[in-house]
Amino acid sequence: MLLINRKYILLFSLGLMGLLQPLKAQEKTTVNGTVKDKMNGESIMGAVIKVDQLANVVVTSNEYGFFAISLPKGKYDLRIIYVGYEEKRIPITLNEPMSIPIFLESKNQLAEVVVESKRKDDNLMKAQMGTETLNMKSISRVPVLFGEKDVLKTIQLLPGVKSAGEGNSGFYVRGGASDQNLILLDEAPVYNASHLLGFFSTFNSDAIKDATLIKGNGPAQYGGRLSSVLDVKMKEGNNKNYIVNGGVGLISSRLSIEGPIQEDKSSFILSGRRTYADIFVKANEKFKDNILYFYDFNAKANYIIDDKNRIYFSGYFGRDELGLGTSFGINWGNKTGTIRWNRVMSNKLFLNTSFIYSDYNYDVSLKNGETKFNVNSNIKDVNVKQDYTYYFNPKNTIRFGFNTILHTITPSIFSGTVNNSVNKVGRNGLENAIYFNNNFKANQQLTLDYGLRVSAYTLMGGDVYNIYNGDEKTSSILLQKNAFGKTYLNLEPRITGNYRINELSSVKLAYARNVQHLHLLSNATASSPSDQWIGNSYNIKPELADQTSIGYARNFKNNTYELGAELYYKKMQNQLDYKDGTNINTIADVESALLYGMGRAYGFELLAKKKMGLVSGWISYTLSKAERKIEGINGGEWYNAKQDRTHDISIVSIVELNSKWSVSGVFVYYTGDAVTFPTGKYSFEGQTIYQYAKRNANRMPTYHRLDLSVTYENRNKNKRETSWNFSLYNVYGRENAYRINFQDDPLDKTKTQIIQTALFRWVPSITYNFKF
Amino acid sequence: MRLTIYLYCAILFFASCDKIITLPLQDNEVKLVIEASITDQPGPYFVKLTRSINLNDINVYPVVENGTVIISDNTGIKDTLKYSKEGIYKTKLIQGVYGRTYNLEVNVDGKKYTATTTMPSKVNLDSLRINTFSINGENQYSIIPVYTDPLELGNSYQFIQRINDTLDNNYNIFNDNLNNGKINQRPLGRPNIDIVIKNLDLVTVEMRCISKATHLYFYTLSQQGGSGPGGGTAPTNLPNNINGGALGLFSAHTIQTKTIQIP
Repeated sequence: MLLINRKYILLFSLGLMGLLQPLKAQEKTTVNGTVKDKMNGESIMGAVIKVDQLANVVVTSNEYGFFAISLPKGKYDLRIIYVGYEEKRIPITLNEPMSIPIFLESKNQLAEVVVESKRKDDNLMKAQMGTETLNMKSISRVPVLFGEKDVLKTIQLLPGVKSAGEGNSGFYVRGGASDQNLILLDEAPVYNASHLLGFFSTFNSDAIKDATLIKGNGPAQYGGRLSSVLDVKMKEGNNKNYIVNGGVGLISSRLSIEGPIQEDKSSFILSGRRTYADIFVKANEKFKDNILYFYDFNAKANYIIDDKNRIYFSGYFGRDELGLGTSFGINWGNKTGTIRWNRVMSNKLFLNTSFIYSDYNYDVSLKNGETKFNVNSNIKDVNVKQDYTYYFNPKNTIRFGFNTILHTITPSIFSGTVNNSVNKVGRNGLENAIYFNNNFKANQQLTLDYGLRVSAYTLMGGDVYNIYNGDEKTSSILLQKNAFGKTYLNLEPRITGNYRINELSSVKLAYARNVQHLHLLSNATASSPSDQWIGNSYNIKPELADQTSIGYARNFKNNTYELGAELYYKKMQNQLDYKDGTNINTIADVESALLYGMGRAYGFELLAKKKMGLVSGWISYTLSKAERKIEGINGGEWYNAKQDRTHDISIVSIVELNSKWSVSGVFVYYTGDAVTFPTGKYSFEGQTIYQYAKRNANRMPTYHRLDLSVTYENRNKNKRETSWNFSLYNVYGRENAYRINFQDDPLDKTKTQIIQTALFRWVPSITYNFKF
Repeated sequence: MRLTIYLYCAILFFASCDKIITLPLQDNEVKLVIEASITDQPGPYFVKLTRSINLNDINVYPVVENGTVIISDNTGIKDTLKYSKEGIYKTKLIQGVYGRTYNLEVNVDGKKYTATTTMPSKVNLDSLRINTFSINGENQYSIIPVYTDPLELGNSYQFIQRINDTLDNNYNIFNDNLNNGKINQRPLGRPNIDIVIKNLDLVTVEMRCISKATHLYFYTLSQQGGSGPGGGTAPTNLPNNINGGALGLFSAHTIQTKTIQIP
């Protein structure tokens, strides 16, 4: 507690430091504006606005392209810089508050940088640590499984991010579990971000503008998960021209249409995607009843009401269907919807109000002759958020706001000929947060970003909450409908600092506490649609993580090369697991089978990028350790988390051969997952049963793979663009172990056979993309 | 629900290749294995004592011949078992009666192992029914054991299926977390790929009413898949009711058997 108090005192004094300074300054007035792409009207986040006459004034545009600068009255030249766009200079005479729209023109450059910064030396300027932004346009050439470009698979090639397995879009960040990533699509949480058991992500790259990953040291406006935030933003839609975009691949096809509703005032985008693997499967008489596909649909529209108000509507709907005729079926999917209202409150204050809805559900149906039943589970959020950006002065940009979420979590409920013996109902929880964050540019060298988030989770009525002491139920609390139960209140301080040593290098330091109120109980490692979410209760306390990291960044050769190194240590409390032999889908009260403990993760991450030129790409290396200690597992001793991989290397390279042809490659190498192999065996009722020792003390074989892809692009005069992409996944056909099974040798029952299953050897794919 | 298995099958349809591998030998702690059961059938009942072996060894399990095995019950009967052969010890007096609690005490090489179990009441297996459905145009069969689960929560069952005398080694472990107090309508899982129930097949089902500890042991076993990202839960030694660190189980259960022929 004492430690925390000290941190607050520090934060408080820093706050004063930043805010008191302007008192000395002379009379000021404010210029604000919105930065947009000239071609399509999309707003540009993270554009850097500098003032030529005042070297130390630097402001960046927010998510909606908005910025504001307060300056003493006078004549200035504003310079607007954003990578991939022509730099723009705007002379202004500032006598009274003014507003200027800024349109940047995209550079006609050959090389697209895959992981791009807003500014060539942005990495040295920003206080943010462990943050990477992926631009959709630029990831298109990274080869991926089935030729489907995918933001979730591309982020797995970054340091500190590990894939959940072969071809899987699930990921682990810095030793955290997969449910510890907050995945947002236009601010709406996506509870299951994968299709087809993880082989595809729910994000259709045609509908996505960019995605930002923050590995645990995020600013205070983000909260709710321990390990990371993946903030995915949908395109707004071109407000100048109609554009049709699409692609035809071996596994899936997609189409999107965007354009103005009223030119320069409103626009829309609609995108859809569907896989058709099932059509091939059905062609075979033996599999004609098999059902196996997914589809998803993104829609977004925005309307500029006047120069102070803008409104956005965005939505997502996706569904997976798997089944066997009418006898077996499982379908699951997400629905999200967001309404956002941007309002320029004053020339320095920007407000965004969001109303957000998110719903994930799955349904299993079994019709086996006379056995007919369904299993349903659902998690639903209704969410209101207000986020203020206050451009206090050129040195301080303040964000503050609140967020209220009503969660409704319905556990798996059986209906039909099979029913739950103990009636199960959904539970509600209310998650509230208020936050304050200041970005303070102390001087040319030092930038601090610090804030405090206060989060509270309140249990809500309508269900009986049992209290357990170990195995034993000690009491029950019946919370009446609309009554409030226990509230968990947590303080989440965060600070990151950047000190620029010289023109070429900087050091960074960060600390953050993150709190998580929703928890995923998962049976298998691969994401399964039937995994269960559960909120805090009288037994389940919020998960806590404290992460400290230190980093060094250096640029070489006129910012062509960028090198970043980070060290982190993360301590996690109130981690959940459950007892062996628990069926979380049928058990009357899953809380009776839960186990509690803690986790720790630490590591070293290295990222070297070449950002410009005919050859671009990056090398990422992670050396890390992730462990858990849970009472009732492994004798209460520390053990390796399943995602513990000592070494993890990714190399991504893109070569522009000429204006039409480009070649790219990905090489991935990592230590096998921590697993538990049997050490011995015994016989029971004539069957061989395996004996185990320590949990996760063994390793899967080392994983490595090379993927290559060739892209041919053709642009003709009337803006029509087509491209062909040929890719080969796992070029040298390594049989990477997906699963290792132990069984009696069918030919000689006195022997044990160890069978390794590999999922894919070579997977070629061809995709045709068009835009007109 | 063999949901995950089904899902894997669907995915593995795309590709996948299996190969036999070897893994380096690990240290294994040799443990005593106790296989003890009492049923509602007339005795004698048997307790088998063996030892666990290394994973790469041939499946020949060393037997323990010098142990002492005592089973007593809550009516005061105490039975010291007599060694017969192949690690098997036989009872002389003890009777399997519904609701009676049994204590097992095993002494081997100066170490003592104990376990307690209670024989559940018998739930009558009324009949077997055939459940017919069609997949990809072919008729498929599964068996529904017909019994009425008692109103009180906490009944557990194990079903062992034989198709024309071939044992189906899938585990059908039920409890009344679903459908408490109702006539059972859940079919047994279809046997694994090697055995398909066809027309004219004789299917024999053995139903056991088991204790919670036995349910936990076999249910955990049924959940253990392989290892790795595609492998399911991290496996551990099966939780059992034996104190003292032995593997195996002491189970008191009822046995009923019925046979049905597929038309």
